[in-house]
Amino acid sequence: MKLAAHYNKASIIISVTVLFISGLIYYFVINRIAREQLDSNLSEEIGEVVDYVNQNQRLPKSVDFDEDLTTFAKTNLAKFDTKYFDTPYQNPREKKVEAGRAVSTLIKCKGENFIVTIVVSREDTEYLIQIIFIITLSLTTVLLTVLIITNRYILNGLWRPFYYILNQVKSFNVSDNKKMDIIEAKADEFRELGEAVSTMSSRVTSDYHGLKTFTENASHEIMTPLAVITSKLDTLIQDETLGPDQFAQITDIYSATNKLSRLNQSLLLLVKIDNNLLHETEKLNVKTIIREKIQQFNELIQNKNIELDYMLDDVDIIANRYLTDVLINNLFSNAIRHNKLHGQIKITLAGNKLLFQNSGDPSPLREATIFTRFHKGRSSDGTGLGLAIMKNICNQRNFDLKYEYLNDLHSFEITF
Amino acid sequence: MKLLIVEDEPGLRESIEKYFTEEGSICETSNTLESALQKIAIYEYDCIILDIGLPDGEGFAILDYLKLHNKQDCVLIISARNSLDDKIKGLNIGADDYITKPFHLAELKARLLAIFRRKAFGSTNVLNYKEISIDLLGRNVSIDEKNIVLTRKEYEMLLYFIANKGKVISKNAIAEHLWGDEMDMLDSFDFIYTHIKNLRKKLSDISGKDYFASVYGVGYKFV
Repeated sequence: MKLAAHYNKASIIISVTVLFISGLIYYFVINRIAREQLDSNLSEEIGEVVDYVNQNQRLPKSVDFDEDLTTFAKTNLAKFDTKYFDTPYQNPREKKVEAGRAVSTLIKCKGENFIVTIVVSREDTEYLIQIIFIITLSLTTVLLTVLIITNRYILNGLWRPFYYILNQVKSFNVSDNKKMDIIEAKADEFRELGEAVSTMSSRVTSDYHGLKTFTENASHEIMTPLAVITSKLDTLIQDETLGPDQFAQITDIYSATNKLSRLNQSLLLLVKIDNNLLHETEKLNVKTIIREKIQQFNELIQNKNIELDYMLDDVDIIANRYLTDVLINNLFSNAIRHNKLHGQIKITLAGNKLLFQNSGDPSPLREATIFTRFHKGRSSDGTGLGLAIMKNICNQRNFDLKYEYLNDLHSFEITF
Repeated sequence: MKLLIVEDEPGLRESIEKYFTEEGSICETSNTLESALQKIAIYEYDCIILDIGLPDGEGFAILDYLKLHNKQDCVLIISARNSLDDKIKGLNIGADDYITKPFHLAELKARLLAIFRRKAFGSTNVLNYKEISIDLLGRNVSIDEKNIVLTRKEYEMLLYFIANKGKVISKNAIAEHLWGDEMDMLDSFDFIYTHIKNLRKKLSDISGKDYFASVYGVGYKFV
């Protein structure tokens, strides 16, 4: 839920509650005031009746008190407390029953006791309360509507810079040279946030470029001495005065140098994948690539007398050409290198899955560690980076790479 | 062939010079961009081996100069940066090929001769070595007018050996030339032996000569 919605919800709940409670209080207070007003009118009238009886020593006629119904009832009670109460009011003119308020008291006339009751209509008071209630209700409605509209439009407007910054942060790619725009926000907080994010992004970008340059320079520095070693060895083997012992040692130096340069190249490739430097993608047909690779690896497969079975459907993926090439190369390399003489390789490409299965060491590899860098099998002569590179390539494109040991076959499955 | 080697690393420069000079080519060297620019302004070269990272600037300046003055020298870039951008940039502004450090001298030579042949003789040319004749366009190999059927790898290997005739080529260099990146996986070099054995037999069946000399397990020499 968005912040604005949270805020809206809270403010509406609070407003409605406060308005409801204040409405109730308002109602009771007004009701009470109105009643007190009625009661004081009634007590004035009863005073007039008592005055009249005391002066004239007779009961007044009811018409003398307009609109009010005055009744006299003879009673034997010697003592009666004046009381106020609600009672129906018989409107003489409109012939209908309305809510009314009455007062009763005891008067003496010519030695007889009477209870006099005066009833007045409460219609006017009720009407007043209704009007007040309606006005309050409409005010409440208007207030809530205004509140919701205000929240929606003004708050959305206020938050717009925030979403703008958020979108920029989301689309931020450290390898792009694009700088973040600073936006004109009315609110200080957002302006500061925008500035901070922009400063941070340019610092990250410059750090990143520094690192990239460093990596490139480091590789340059390592590759050049390697080139010197290789070229010196190439020159050295031309020397006809050397004997078999020297040549045996040179062979070892060759393979160590070769391994070192492969290692360096693999590390650089990993850095490139990690930094998403190879992010150009295109539509690739996996079947075509695998067919090409089968051609390429054909001699190596034959060299080990490996039986190759494949079943390939047309599958298109969107990926980087170079990385896909490396990925499939590594799948083949692994399947051949860790295979045994007269072993087998099965390749299945169907739906969105590519499955490489090969025979080899008859015990499963440890799934938890095979994709970590520099983890090597017992008899592996590789750099220990091949599977890590595969994993990183798959991660970059959100492909799923899984290892399983099934029916004596090591299986690598990629789900595109 | 007249050659200019522009490389600031003395060890590498000397090795390249030595490897190419023995063959009869004239090699000149430069260790800075400035001296290289002076040399190409005065002399004509068939080929230039150009390192991109020089102490006083990027080797691309040489390519710009050649383009500006409409010179036809072959240029082979050597670079430590295996960066695609550099490769594309170099080939776009007139380089003929690109090779990444570290490389084998045999590979450098094979590549250089390939671009030189392409430029010097156009696309129709026949390469002769002793009695072996190779039609580079039709990819046809014959000895004394008798055709030999070679596989793609054998054909590539023959060209590679002829380019480096008389030199000992290490197995590493051969493997890297034939398999490139897949090299990564080669545990043993037995399969190179198999290929050479086949090629050797195909050639000797017709010519009656053995062109290959094995050198103490480190590599082979084509004579």
